[in-house]
Amino acid sequence: MGRVITYIDAITEALDQEMARDERVFLIGEDIGLYGGVFKATKGLQKKYGEYRVIDSPISENLIVGAGIGSALVGMRPVPEIQFADFVSPAMDQIVQQAAKIRYRTGGAWSVPLVVRICCGGDVGGGLYHSQMNEAWFVHCPGLKVVMPSNPHDAKGLLLAAIRDPDPVLYFEHKRLYRSVKGEVPEGDYTVPIGPAEVKKTGKDITIVAYALMLVWGMEAAEKLEKEGISCEVIDLKTLLPIDKKTILESVKKTGKALLLQEAPKTAGVMAEISAIITEEVFDYLDAPVMRLAGLDVPPIPFAPPYEKFYLPTVDRIMKKARQLKAY
Amino acid sequence: MKVAYEKPPSETPSEFGLSPKEKKELYYLLLKCRMFDERFRKLFRAGRFAGTYFSAVGQEATTVVPSYKLLPQDFIGPAHRELGCNIVRSPLKVIAAQIYARANSPDKGLSHPCHYGYKPANIITPASTVAGQSVLAVGVALAYKIRKEPYVALAFVGEGGTAMGPWYEAVNFAAVHKLPVVFIVQNNLWGESVPARLVGAFEDFSHRADGVGMPGVSIDGNDVLKVWETTAPAVARARRGEGPTLIEMKTYRWYGHSEIDPADYRPKEEVEYWKKRDPIPAYEKYLMGNKKLTLEEKKQIEEKIDKEIDEAVEFAEAADYGPVEWVLGDVYADFKADAPDRP
Ligand SMILES: Cc1ncc(C[n+]2csc(CCOP(=O)(O)OP(=O)(O)O)c2C)c(N)n1
Repeated sequence: MGRVITYIDAITEALDQEMARDERVFLIGEDIGLYGGVFKATKGLQKKYGEYRVIDSPISENLIVGAGIGSALVGMRPVPEIQFADFVSPAMDQIVQQAAKIRYRTGGAWSVPLVVRICCGGDVGGGLYHSQMNEAWFVHCPGLKVVMPSNPHDAKGLLLAAIRDPDPVLYFEHKRLYRSVKGEVPEGDYTVPIGPAEVKKTGKDITIVAYALMLVWGMEAAEKLEKEGISCEVIDLKTLLPIDKKTILESVKKTGKALLLQEAPKTAGVMAEISAIITEEVFDYLDAPVMRLAGLDVPPIPFAPPYEKFYLPTVDRIMKKARQLKAY
Repeated sequence: MKVAYEKPPSETPSEFGLSPKEKKELYYLLLKCRMFDERFRKLFRAGRFAGTYFSAVGQEATTVVPSYKLLPQDFIGPAHRELGCNIVRSPLKVIAAQIYARANSPDKGLSHPCHYGYKPANIITPASTVAGQSVLAVGVALAYKIRKEPYVALAFVGEGGTAMGPWYEAVNFAAVHKLPVVFIVQNNLWGESVPARLVGAFEDFSHRADGVGMPGVSIDGNDVLKVWETTAPAVARARRGEGPTLIEMKTYRWYGHSEIDPADYRPKEEVEYWKKRDPIPAYEKYLMGNKKLTLEEKKQIEEKIDKEIDEAVEFAEAADYGPVEWVLGDVYADFKADAPDRP
């Protein structure tokens, strides 16, 4: 067994190693330098690399991302941080109108090798403005790549791949996983390719597709369901744009049933797209309607603890939905 | 530690309409803000409510004083550290219930603790997105202007929040149209861990007003009478239709950004320095020196406040969280959200 570290330590390690390897890499964001990040993801890096490689910015998300984009145009490898996904909205213009469209609008002459790290997710008692999962906003923007790891190994490998990618990547990290998830992580350099999904558990009755916290909960549900005689195949999507259709479709062809998990509100989320892909491409193989279990269609996530529980697609709810799908 | 604007409480402050009774009432409100805040820090540490707590101890004068003696129709757009505005305009029970996120909270427990708002007080429950409510305040002021109503909007923001593009848009538009709004920048030197020197290339954040053609002034925000003497005329000016003012108030938050922040990025001497410039004892000394407050009265006021806080905490703790169906309401006026696969 190799070295085991947390999800957040894997992120810090990836940043540290890439900054050491490539002097074009720099970080910019709120509270990331002196303080080491509100969750300590950049702890120690300003001390090690200096104030112009780990820049404490004012509260100016549009600038944080936009300055990153500008610097990328002339050869830097910026990794701006958005402290909470909830506060990415002021940066939307730069992400959507600039980062996503520069390669296209210049006929391929210019490119934006940028990674925006975005801390997201619920089940942390964060209320309306510290819990959101807004990845779907960006999955609707061709020109961006969107990734979201569910374990420390992928957290490091995807981040290294993202920084080396020639195009803008939004790297979502789920704050609930920061310290609750540990796993084996190689000490050296490696990448997890952007694009491919991964079958985390094989099974024959139902295909579960998920990412981030929902993947962790989906795996937990699948292990329990196994004891009830329901065999689930669990796919970690990892990259939300572009979507790895092949891995999903192959699995659904085998199981004939798909359960799609999503923490964000249900309507027009990432799983709506996955559902459409499945029904368009392997309809003949389906033995049941594609089913989604998602957050509620309300502003996420209402604060009071019972409200948050009601909102979230919990392990119990996943199991219930899987039983319903199995029995269909 | 250098403060650009420094002036001791004036010996003979102009009254600006404050009677001796009102001065005492202001003292009561400041003390209530402080005592409530300190009590809720303790309650948070004791695990009595979920989420987090943003203390505003040290910044009472910059929120309580500008909110005092406004008209009920005047609007307040707060950020996350404006407990004082609510202390002046909302019942204590309502504030406590909001922190506890209970069913009797005005937001029904849906939003976030310390994001206080109360419609009867004309204080909008804030989004966390800093500077957001300064933009709203400008919209409110625009409506007042269109309707020729003599009301004013107060827009609160931290010095950190003034770096937001949307805040500039708001300030600029208010100046162009001479809207009835007063922008209050509480400069407490730190936005979370980021020092003010990384936010503005000057010491006085009132310079933010220069480029948009608005009067801007920097004052000692811990000098209660100075704050009153500056905000009352600015509010009056706005009410007369003569346009907005930006007031930077230099102050300090004694504790962490929230209760889980040890605030170890700040030099100890700086914290000590500012604790000595506590707004409340300075004002108390002024009142006692002018025979407007006695020690006996002070004791009575403290006892009264303690009792009020006890009642507010009881009110909050006696209530349950709202029923989970409340999650589905208030998304729209005319229908509820579905709850598939729930409970
Ligand atoms: C747009 C946005 N970005 C980041 C945050 C996270 N955040 C919350 S408060 C804060 C610091 C605010 O500093 P300041 O405006 O000076 O107010 P203070 O906390 O000092 O009262 C930050 C960065 C936020 N709420 N909104």
